[in-house]
Amino acid sequence: MRIELDRPRCEGHGLCEEAAPRLMHLDDDGELLIDVPEVDGADLDAAKAAVRVCPVAALRLAAA
Amino acid sequence: MTAPTESAIDIWDDDILVDPYPAYAALREQAGVVHLPKNDLYVLTRYDIIRDVLGDPSTFSSTTLGFNPMVNEALQGTSLASDPPVHTQLRATLSENLTPRALRGLKVTIDEKADKLVAELVASGSFEAIDSLARAFPLEIVADLIGFSGHVKDNMLRWGQAAMQVIGPLNQRTQESFPIAGELYGWCSTVTGGDLTPGSIGRGIFDAETRGDIPEGSAGHIIHQYLGAGVDTTIASIGNIVALFGRHPEQLQLVRENPELVPAAFAEVLRYWAPLHIWGRTATRDVEIDGVTVPAGAQLGILLGAGNRDARHYENPDVFDVTRNPVDHLSFGYGPHGCAGQGLAKLEGHAIVSALARQVKSITITDEVRVPSNMTRSIDKLHVAKVVAA
Repeated sequence: MRIELDRPRCEGHGLCEEAAPRLMHLDDDGELLIDVPEVDGADLDAAKAAVRVCPVAALRLAAA
Repeated sequence: MTAPTESAIDIWDDDILVDPYPAYAALREQAGVVHLPKNDLYVLTRYDIIRDVLGDPSTFSSTTLGFNPMVNEALQGTSLASDPPVHTQLRATLSENLTPRALRGLKVTIDEKADKLVAELVASGSFEAIDSLARAFPLEIVADLIGFSGHVKDNMLRWGQAAMQVIGPLNQRTQESFPIAGELYGWCSTVTGGDLTPGSIGRGIFDAETRGDIPEGSAGHIIHQYLGAGVDTTIASIGNIVALFGRHPEQLQLVRENPELVPAAFAEVLRYWAPLHIWGRTATRDVEIDGVTVPAGAQLGILLGAGNRDARHYENPDVFDVTRNPVDHLSFGYGPHGCAGQGLAKLEGHAIVSALARQVKSITITDEVRVPSNMTRSIDKLHVAKVVAA
């Protein structure tokens, strides 16, 4: 699966980074960077958790 | 097509507004969507259903988020009452100064103000927590943020309360609040950048309008939304922090021993006692929810606090537990219209939880007074009879 970010909708609340720190992080300007966009296995569970906690629904998982 | 089941409950009944949780439990057990003929409303009661509806703005429009036609008319053109794609730009303009990155510079100031205020109250030995803390703190933070002072600051509390109240149905509370909400609207339509403190975020919004970075006339609307949305709700959540730590001393003790629990404790306060009762949407077409059909044009009432206590989602939902860390609670809403000020609310809430946990060993509360309110559920008076310093 592939993590897709709706960039204009992202406001940098950072809950996704807490849920999946290996996959994404906020940079020094508070912009979200997806470090590992293609995920499977344990990463997929973390990615699902990150998608779930985004308060503004800016993340989604799509077929790779 | 199966129609939703009905309940004779009046969701704006005074007793339900003061303590809605028994009614929420009954409605949630009845069904995920329940028709309330008395309110001409379909209420949503379960966590997953609420999340799905909030995440689907094309099926569930925000154009009638309020519960009377006058307020919906007044809110036209705001991000609150618009749908994508129009919503996207309005929201970006509103939230630009409220994102966590924009607010980073404020954290130190907000923490210092919370520490100082709590220290004064602890030193006094006993205090009334709503006026002296729950109201005083956010009013000062929002006034500084927007950059105003003087008579406007004196009016912020009643303006903020009225702005929420008028979103309710056309009952006496709403009718009495419309003139006061009108004062706020009037002030916001005449305020200029020069009225606001240089260097404040409010002044910056007017400067952005002058530069043409945001549409002409939008600065006043943004100030209006900061005041309308950021006062009454935050006051409710801070009063709830004090009351819940008073009722559950072992939970305060847990945060005292584990300061890393501060964010989780605030999330749990928001989950356990939602500051907002209800929020509106309209079905844009006949739509199936939880196996029943809600007709096109139906007014929906989203019971945020009912979803927050849904045992289908949270284990032992009626227990206040600061170790739960319910980051996905519904009190900020969810999705494209999720609370734009949640970053600021968290800065304020975390600052107060942290200051209390560091400075207070225990508090004894008496005389928790609530008055019914259409949209916000908050404590009106809360006497801290005794505070033991850490």
